[in-house]
Amino acid sequence: MEKWAIAHIFSSHNNTIITITDVTGAETLAKCSGGMVVKADKDEPSPYAAMIAAQRVAEEIKEKGIEGVHIRVRGIGRGRSKSPGPGAQAAIRTLARAGLKIGRIEDVTPLPHDGCREKGGKRGRRV
Amino acid sequence: MRYVKIPMERIAVLIGKNGEVKEKIESHGIKLEIDSSSGEVKITSDDALKELDGENVVRAIGRGISPDKALLLFNDEYYFELIDMRDWVGKKPSHIKRIAGRIIGKEGKTRKIIEETTGAYISVQGHTVAIVGKIDELQTAKEAIEKLLEGANHNTVYHFLERERRKKKFEKMKFY
Repeated sequence: MEKWAIAHIFSSHNNTIITITDVTGAETLAKCSGGMVVKADKDEPSPYAAMIAAQRVAEEIKEKGIEGVHIRVRGIGRGRSKSPGPGAQAAIRTLARAGLKIGRIEDVTPLPHDGCREKGGKRGRRV
Repeated sequence: MRYVKIPMERIAVLIGKNGEVKEKIESHGIKLEIDSSSGEVKITSDDALKELDGENVVRAIGRGISPDKALLLFNDEYYFELIDMRDWVGKKPSHIKRIAGRIIGKEGKTRKIIEETTGAYISVQGHTVAIVGKIDELQTAKEAIEKLLEGANHNTVYHFLERERRKKKFEKMKFY
C-alpha cells in the first residue's frame, strides 16, 4: 500500500515553514523552514528559500518511504493577509518535481467569522 | 476540483471568440465547466498542480487581466496576486473610486509607469487590483501600489520605482 503524508506549508511575508506529518497530523516526519536554509533574514520569505526547504523535506520523507503528500497551505489570516506569501507556490511545485505524488491542495488559512478585535487599537497602527 | 466565481461580464472573455480562450486553457490538461447564468466556473483536472494553475488563470481573467497575459501563469516563473482595496479604505464606493483613480492615474499614467518600470501587468477592476508577473517584479509592483493605497505622493512612488529598477540593473551586472 502507498504511504501518504500531509505537507503543511505556512507562508507569511517573513518566512515559509514546511512541516510534513502523517495523515493524522499528529506525528511530524520532517520539517524545514526558509530561515534554516538561507543566511540573510531578508531572503527567508523568498521562493528560492522555499524551494530549497521543500527539497530537503522531500528527500527526508522519501527515505522514510512516503510516496505522496496532501498539501495544506496557510497564510497568516486572522484578520491579516488572507493569501499565502510568495513561498507557498514555489514549495508546492518543488514537492511535485521531487517525485512525490500530490493529492489534495487545500487552503487552511484561519479566517474569523467575526471574532476577536484586531490588534492595533481604534486609530490603527501608527508608524 | 475547484470552484471560482467570476463577474458576469468577464465570462465572455474567459470563453473567447468561438471558445478560443477556453480551448487554450483546456489544452494545458484542465477541464472548465462554465455556468454562464451564475458566473461559477468549475475547474477539474487529474493533476492537482494543474488545477491550482488553472484556478489562478481563471481568477486573473475574472479580475480583468487579458487572456494572453493570464495564460503566462501556466509558466512556473509567473505569479498572481490580488489586492483588495476594501482592506485599506473600507467599502464605500466613493472611496474605492478615489483610490482606484490614484492607482490608475491620469489617462493611465501611474499604472503605465508601474508596469513599465517593474515589468508586471496590472489591472484595476471594481474593488480589486490584480498583478501578474515574475516574483521580483510582482513584489515591487505590489509595494508601490500599497504605498499609493496608504496615501503616499505619486512622486515618491515614482522615485521608489526608479530606485528599485536601478538596484535590479546593478544586481544583474554583478553576475558578469
